[in-house]
Amino acid sequence: METALQVENLSKSYQRRLRAPGLLGAFKGLFSSAKEEVKAVKDLSFTIRRGEKVGLIGENGAGKSTTLKMLTGILTPTSGKLEVLGRVPWKERQHLALNIGVVFGQRPQLLWDIPVRETFRLLKTMYRVPDEIYQTTYNEAVARLGLEKLLGTPVRQLSLGQRMRCDLAAALLHAPAVVFLDEPTIGLDLSVKEQVREYIADMQERFGTTLLITTHDLKDITETCDRLLLLDKGSLLFDGSIRDFERKYASDRRIVAELHKPVGLEELAGLTKEVTKLGGVLKESEGRRIVVEHKEEGAAPALTQLLLARLPVVDLNLEKTDIETIVTRIYRQTPEKKA
Amino acid sequence: MRDLQPQLTPLESLRSYTSLFLRSAKAGFAYQASTFTEILTAAFIYAVPMLVWRQVYAQDPTGMPLSKEHMFPYLLLACCVNYSLSMGVEFRLGNRIRSGLIATDLLKPVDFQVSQGVICISDSVFHALLGLSVFFCGFLFLGPAVFPASASSFLMFLASFALAFLIQYGICFIFVQGAFYTYSGYGIFAARGALHQTFSGLSAPLAFYPPFLKSAGDWLPFQHAIHTPVSIYMGWAEGAQALHLLGQQAIWAVGLYFLGKLLLVGSLKQLEVQGG
Repeated sequence: METALQVENLSKSYQRRLRAPGLLGAFKGLFSSAKEEVKAVKDLSFTIRRGEKVGLIGENGAGKSTTLKMLTGILTPTSGKLEVLGRVPWKERQHLALNIGVVFGQRPQLLWDIPVRETFRLLKTMYRVPDEIYQTTYNEAVARLGLEKLLGTPVRQLSLGQRMRCDLAAALLHAPAVVFLDEPTIGLDLSVKEQVREYIADMQERFGTTLLITTHDLKDITETCDRLLLLDKGSLLFDGSIRDFERKYASDRRIVAELHKPVGLEELAGLTKEVTKLGGVLKESEGRRIVVEHKEEGAAPALTQLLLARLPVVDLNLEKTDIETIVTRIYRQTPEKKA
Repeated sequence: MRDLQPQLTPLESLRSYTSLFLRSAKAGFAYQASTFTEILTAAFIYAVPMLVWRQVYAQDPTGMPLSKEHMFPYLLLACCVNYSLSMGVEFRLGNRIRSGLIATDLLKPVDFQVSQGVICISDSVFHALLGLSVFFCGFLFLGPAVFPASASSFLMFLASFALAFLIQYGICFIFVQGAFYTYSGYGIFAARGALHQTFSGLSAPLAFYPPFLKSAGDWLPFQHAIHTPVSIYMGWAEGAQALHLLGQQAIWAVGLYFLGKLLLVGSLKQLEVQGG
């Protein structure tokens, strides 16, 4: 498959002025030139093929948005190489703009003072959208995102959720080859989030769009992407499929058994040994509840059979750590442990 | 999957700029109360210097470089031209650089400098329409003296005004780029405003200036934004002299455009868009 995005040893640093605290510090700052260098992105490398759906996640300040802004040509990298659709974004920004769609969740591209439909018409002309494509993308957006009643409203009078939906529609009107979405569901309620995710997934499928999403809401990723990039303090910590990510980081798989009656100590001791032999650990045993944890992906059937055979089980649940919990744990770990 | 789209042709770019102009012009009229407040404010701001100069001429007009029959139409025209050149680019673009909203402007498939200029044209047209009401008020007080010296003066004034717009935009576009480096452009914008106020001939015709100030102004573009078009309108510069002034304006307009473009390359490298 053709390469859509090629990033090699990409870095971005900027200078931050140092200021002492308080009013006096602010005044002294007028005469001080003390600065520190902040490395927002460090030696980042990855490749995305055309049509891939990739989620870029990381803590606040991990470098996600900076990476996206370099990929779209807004920011110039400090060092490294990058190409989007064979173009160097910061050198060929104007040309590249015709082929990409971008949503910055916190920075709408809609014209503030005039009705939404005016921005759509402007974009149709500006992006040279053929009528047949415009009819598809426009009608689809209006119907799927519920924009009908919003089209005649000046943007400044829209709520955040309404504005986000319109902004997303605006970014996809020209059916771009690559779409960058920076927190596309920020501030939206649950039903609108769902609407937006479904729309993104459908449009991606229809036009074979290459998708790169940054978000703090991992459902955006699990529902629209196949691949995950995890950034930590400007560096890439993980690059692979969501399944691989779970395999690597989701060490906890649990089998929770609810029992008809409590188990005796002797029986429990024997069970512990057998569970250990099958690669599990008996973690909890409180009255009528037993919890077995295991790390091996294929250990669950044997362990389940054992529990069913040896205990008076009335209910049994297989639990896997969800991706949100995994990511939260990774964020909390020390840098050494994360790697 | 759509193929890689080639760049816009000049005709497609022109269509885009026209579409942008129409939408920006609409936005200008979006705030009814603000529009009328602006007209009243402009009338007030420009009436004050008129009243001051009237007081000066009432004392002892002998030795003045200009008669009051020339002076007051000049002041009215200078005010109207200045008002028509109000483009708010520093305020608008300065805020967008500071807030990071400039990111969405840079993602459009059109030339950034030209598209900002197109928005300024819509600002200028909007203010010119409002400026006509100020001109009409002036006509009620000053009579036919406010009309152009001749038909050819008026035609050359139109050309001069168009070039004055390009010069004014060129200057503002260069100054606003200071916001890329300082993150708050207010000091720089104030400096541009002070230079404009001093050297453009807005406060008084250049004939009133002390020689050193006039010499300094000759090396700067500011007088070509106000004094030159008004001088042509008033018939103070005609024929070859007017064409010479138009030529000077054109050189400044082109020079400022390319200087702005050149500086933008460095300015964009400075850009920081923080926080999402």
